[in-house]
Amino acid sequence: MEQKDQLFKQIFDTNSKKIFHLCYGYTGDADSANDLLQETFLKVWQNLDKFRNKSLISTWIYRIAVNTCLTYLRSEKRQAKDELTDNIIENRVEEYSEKNEQVALLYKSISKLDENDRLIITMVLDELPYSEIAEISGISEGNLRVKIHRIKQRLTELYNQHARI
Amino acid sequence: MQEFEHLQSIWDTHKVEVKISSDEMLKQVKKEVNGIKRKSLLNLAGMVLSFLAVASIWIFYDFQSWTTHAGLTVIITAIGVYTFILYQGHRLISNNDFTVHPKAFLDNLKLYQISRFSLYNKLYWIYTFALSLGTTLYFFEVLDRLEVWVQYAVVIFSFAWMVFCSALVRKVAMKRERERIALLIEKFERLSTQFKD
Repeated sequence: MEQKDQLFKQIFDTNSKKIFHLCYGYTGDADSANDLLQETFLKVWQNLDKFRNKSLISTWIYRIAVNTCLTYLRSEKRQAKDELTDNIIENRVEEYSEKNEQVALLYKSISKLDENDRLIITMVLDELPYSEIAEISGISEGNLRVKIHRIKQRLTELYNQHARI
Repeated sequence: MQEFEHLQSIWDTHKVEVKISSDEMLKQVKKEVNGIKRKSLLNLAGMVLSFLAVASIWIFYDFQSWTTHAGLTVIITAIGVYTFILYQGHRLISNNDFTVHPKAFLDNLKLYQISRFSLYNKLYWIYTFALSLGTTLYFFEVLDRLEVWVQYAVVIFSFAWMVFCSALVRKVAMKRERERIALLIEKFERLSTQFKD
């Protein structure tokens, strides 16, 4: 049990920041991201014995996080994504700066994408190798490249639209 | 007009901070499960205390009438059987640690939910009937020495209390517990659906 605890702590310390960022990109707010992070690592802890080293442990954790994110908003009757993101932007007015405004705009633009696209682009922004993203999302690498190209274009468009308003 | 590389640089500048440790996270989940275990244990302790209280009345008082002995036998048997059923339910949820064997725990939680539902319905009425019968038999001798109005008052109060518990307390407790267990099951189910072996 001690060994498992130690291993878990090590895994948590290595991966939690990236997983939190993924969840943040998906939900657009820190509290929900925190809930998702907790749910993800709870699953990691419970299923650590089932991990068979067929893939990188980070890939495995990302896959858990992606599934958790996708089921989270569907099963819980939470606020609509747009409302959430608007709240974040309002909350950030106090600490206004050009940088904060850009970050808020980026999250708002991400929130306008489809659920799956949101997760894929978050992984792209976190600079995960394409092969890993393909494995996590279950899409072939060829298709993924095309998809990522489209999502990048769409996100840039959305950002520029919001920036003009 | 911004390019994607600019969005990448914005993303990179946004530093996030994880505020929870692995210890805190596990503690939180265990706390939720322990809440139900604690309640079940308190129920059990209450029943054992009732059993001991009735048993001590029987031991320390010298009753003459057979009706009193019969009444106390019925009461103590009813409490004993109910305590045993509660104990079985408690074992169901305390046997497995959710954090170690989530699937087994979830299965047991569902069995526990069924057992509690039956406890609050069919079994509760059998229990109430046995208690009423036992109390009636017990009162023949005990109330005999008291004034008539006190006899009436004790009988009315005792049965009014039983009706109150059956009609109101039982329904509220049943509703609360059903919601609580259903919420836990839903949560655990959501966690386990993603891990089919």
